[in-house]
Amino acid sequence: MAENREPRGAAEAELDPVEYTLRKRLPHRLPRRPNDIYVNMKTDFKAQLARCQKLLDAGSRGQNACAEIYIHGLGLAINRAINIALQLQAGSFGSLQVAANTSTVELVDELEPETDTREPLIRIRNNSAIHIRVFRVTPK
Amino acid sequence: MSNAKERKHAKKMRNQPTNVTLFSGFAANRSVKHYGGGGKPAQTQKPESRSGSAQQQESKVTHHSLRDPDVNEQSSSKVTFRKKGGWKAGPEGTSQEMPKYITASTFAQARAAEISAMLRAVTQKSSNSMVFQTLPRHMRRRAMSHNVKRLPQRLREIAQKEAEKTVHQKKEHSKNKCHKARRCHKNQMLEFNRRQKKNMWLETHIWHAKRFHMVKKWGYCLGERPTVKSHRACYRAMTNHCLLQDISYYCCLELKGKEEEILKALSRMCSIETGLTFAAVHCLSGKRQGSLMLYRANQYPREMLGPVTFIWKSERSAGGPAGSRQLWIWLHPTLREEILEEIKAACQCIEPIQSTICTPNSLLTPLQEKSQTGLPDEKIVTKRKRKDDGENAKPVKKVFGNRTRDAHQPCSWSSPATGIVVSDLTMEMNRYRLIGPLSHSVLTEALKAAAVHTGEEDTEKTPHSWWIETCRNPDDVSLHHRQEAIFEMLGGITSPAEIPAGTILGLTVGDPRINLPQKRFKALPDPEKCQDNERVRQLLMEGVPVECTHSFIWNQAICQSVTENKISDQDLNRMRSELLVPGSQLVLGPQESKIPILLIHQPGRVTGEDRRGWGSGWDVLLPKGWGMAFWIPFIYRGARVGGLKEGLVHSQYKRSPNIPGDFPDCPAGVLFAEEQAKNLLEKYKRRPPAKRPNYVKLGTLAPFCCPWGQLTRDWESREQTQGESCVASSPNSEVGDSGNGEGPRAAAPDKTLQFSAEEPREPEDMDTECQGQAGTQPVRDQDAALGGLCVVRERKLLKQLSSWCGPSSGGSWVPRRAPGRGQQDLTRETCLSILSRFPRALVWVSLSLLHKGSPEPYTMICVPTKEDLLHLSQDRFYCGPQESKHSDPFKSKLLKQKKEKRRRRQTASLEGQAGEEPAAGHEALTQGLWSGPLPTVTSHCSRLLLGFVTQGDFSMALGCGEALGFVSLTGLLDILSRQPARERGLVLLRPPASLQYRFARIAVEV
Repeated sequence: MAENREPRGAAEAELDPVEYTLRKRLPHRLPRRPNDIYVNMKTDFKAQLARCQKLLDAGSRGQNACAEIYIHGLGLAINRAINIALQLQAGSFGSLQVAANTSTVELVDELEPETDTREPLIRIRNNSAIHIRVFRVTPK
Repeated sequence: MSNAKERKHAKKMRNQPTNVTLFSGFAANRSVKHYGGGGKPAQTQKPESRSGSAQQQESKVTHHSLRDPDVNEQSSSKVTFRKKGGWKAGPEGTSQEMPKYITASTFAQARAAEISAMLRAVTQKSSNSMVFQTLPRHMRRRAMSHNVKRLPQRLREIAQKEAEKTVHQKKEHSKNKCHKARRCHKNQMLEFNRRQKKNMWLETHIWHAKRFHMVKKWGYCLGERPTVKSHRACYRAMTNHCLLQDISYYCCLELKGKEEEILKALSRMCSIETGLTFAAVHCLSGKRQGSLMLYRANQYPREMLGPVTFIWKSERSAGGPAGSRQLWIWLHPTLREEILEEIKAACQCIEPIQSTICTPNSLLTPLQEKSQTGLPDEKIVTKRKRKDDGENAKPVKKVFGNRTRDAHQPCSWSSPATGIVVSDLTMEMNRYRLIGPLSHSVLTEALKAAAVHTGEEDTEKTPHSWWIETCRNPDDVSLHHRQEAIFEMLGGITSPAEIPAGTILGLTVGDPRINLPQKRFKALPDPEKCQDNERVRQLLMEGVPVECTHSFIWNQAICQSVTENKISDQDLNRMRSELLVPGSQLVLGPQESKIPILLIHQPGRVTGEDRRGWGSGWDVLLPKGWGMAFWIPFIYRGARVGGLKEGLVHSQYKRSPNIPGDFPDCPAGVLFAEEQAKNLLEKYKRRPPAKRPNYVKLGTLAPFCCPWGQLTRDWESREQTQGESCVASSPNSEVGDSGNGEGPRAAAPDKTLQFSAEEPREPEDMDTECQGQAGTQPVRDQDAALGGLCVVRERKLLKQLSSWCGPSSGGSWVPRRAPGRGQQDLTRETCLSILSRFPRALVWVSLSLLHKGSPEPYTMICVPTKEDLLHLSQDRFYCGPQESKHSDPFKSKLLKQKKEKRRRRQTASLEGQAGEEPAAGHEALTQGLWSGPLPTVTSHCSRLLLGFVTQGDFSMALGCGEALGFVSLTGLLDILSRQPARERGLVLLRPPASLQYRFARIAVEV
């Protein structure tokens, strides 16, 4: 990965906003399971918290049990993902546990040329992500 | 007694026989004297002890009674009322005493009149419902409406009459054919072919017609919206699932020839300033789809023709003469005529070609052609004769392709000078659009790459010789395998937004009808396939390699053979039924059709900060004739189908202009606006004046059209006068301050206030050019003024405007792009230099509302005053100011006109039929609409007008109102330079039928 970045770093130097327009592409992601929650910065915090809570509560009552949920946060939303997980844990009176994993996500930036003679360029940049597993434990 | 109560009573008594209402006791003796005519006993039986006014009324009534039954009834009931009141109060008590004697003859006569009136009321049906509808529910029976015998005996006669009446109103079926004959396949095909002569049908027409509201538009019959309630469901399909659209009505123009020649010819029709052109490297190689705006040759930035997308055929290493290329230009049908003419002119293609491969009709089998041309004759001939005909002629076939075109009309032109061949491939291909993240799953589930022939079966004759040929070539086979591998890889990518925009992938697939599932289900991405390996990564980064974009769909001859050798549904089903194990997979082996297709990636939302990649998807190009064979399999994989309306929603949420409505500077756009205005005006006039908004009072000058020409002209003249006044008022300070760039911005707000205050008091200078009523005429006026109007599409300028529009500073955490080297500050000089280049220009903007409000088309975009902004900064939830009600200057005129009309009618009724037609001197005023030339549109209301919204609605994606529209460039620069940096880009929106302004933020997205 690092060797891939080297030549592009060189290309970055010659980039000119007059000649290229930046277009960010969506991050590559896996198909979503019902117990996956991707946290974003646009939705209200309380709404996202309630959504997680609902998933966990439905597990204790109905058949569609979610014994564990995964909260994913990317970049700026890492903070919020952690916050949601901790809030869930704090509100559960000890019946919920969290386990966090971190990872690096590759993001693709496309540079659209403004002139006919140039090829579109691709820039890869890395961003950190967090995946928190919130699961039920039987309180001792 | 209250007026309303009286009226209510009058309504109640309206259907009563007139003499029932009065107690004729006391008056009976008197009535002998009056009783002359015998028609109206009620009036004659009135007691004389009534007050003077009542008597007067009575005399008046008798005077008019013959002519005016309405008045008569009114007054009679009034009289009754008075009577009743009197009885209660008691001053007229004497009248209520029992009579001393009755004259038998008059009494009987009066009763007879009553009875006859009652009988009349009973027999006459007052409501406009059918007889069986008047029956109580428990007496109704099934099929009463067409079987008279199901009705009770007493009603049968009336029902019979009614049924006869409706039969006359019904459409006449062809008399010589019974229902069964009409439904017979051959006759139905004939009928279908006849019906699609005027307006073309898409191949999915019958499917759509059963489920959609169909409209006739642009020479096609198109599905507008589904009949089921599905607005939100379609939105969800676009965001989370997959929405399918048939856009086969898009036109395709093909250019063949030398690459340099084509580029040279077309380069005059587009400009590098609006973005990439036909010569862009990645498009030219055939790797990506490109999109651009076409202009008349060398006319940029005026005379726009329309937006198009294009794809080049990739150059294969082996095959074809060097340098000869093929280019497809896809465009909307409304733009076709103009662009085709212009391209023909640019390429100097004048010689029509009659018999080439490109002419579709010459390729039809002679039998087909016969059935096509012989159609009118066959319709006239009798049944028996056609049977004779049928013996030597083959059964009528479905005709694919362009059916409206005359067989002898050329659709292909060549040029001796440049060697370019332009051909019109309209309706030669089907184009389906899949939108949404699940489109990958739908595609990979529904389509399977064609099986490669191994060579053993070659002994038996198959119609797919082209595929056998291809399979002999090992290079082609390996290419096919590579394409297949890439296609399978798509199934593991969860959203089309991850793929490079405009990627093209060619493929040859097997018959999709073979592996049709038993039931409809929703295709979901397979987690097995979603392994994040190196190959997927490469696909996402590099896109599809150039070789893999090759498809046989570019070859007309192969497409033709594929269309002709399609196994019919009937045969396929027969083969299926003959399977040994019912329901097992049908294996056709080499007989199975191979269909070349082309997949084109469509980028979703690329501009702006939020909802990136929304609405991205794939377009599938198929050879003609295969439409339904692919349509049903897609639907069986869980795609939801949308119509034109869903297309509009898609473009609105994507914030891209809709063709042709959002191109006011191209002829198709002008025509569209004109039609729209006409329709809306008609719809408006259909409502009674009290039940429709009075746009004059609401201060809306043009509720059904956007007078762009006048708007830009007004802003131009404003700018000029302002510049003069600037110089006149403070020449010294202006010159001194202009250097640092801070001076004009500070000085400007005072000027606005001054302006907006004095402007309405100015005598409204009527624009002499602009004549006609506010409904439809201004559009034509705009057409005339189109020469000066243009829409800014220069990317550099748009980028600059975009950076100026946003709030440049503030506590917002949103990471903003740092201004680059090319960005300039917003100063008076830069504004002036821009305006000198684009004096009358419009800018495409998107608006999102701050709080409440949902904009609609023709909503006005206005400039907020300083107080409004102040109010908003103090109160965060301030909704917005209100426009004060305007006076209606046309009201007196309208009243006068009405009075005159009434007078004329009266005289006419007196003199007979003399003065029927109204005087020609008066133009017909419509109440609630501005008539005559429009005054200055910008300063008609309390807030200055900046532009109009062309698409607007509550956005389900944003959760608040969202609008797209055009503003005047002059006006935009004006307000941007005035507003303080923190509140920059705030405007007011006001719908045409409301007085309430709402705050919105303006953004220019590139």
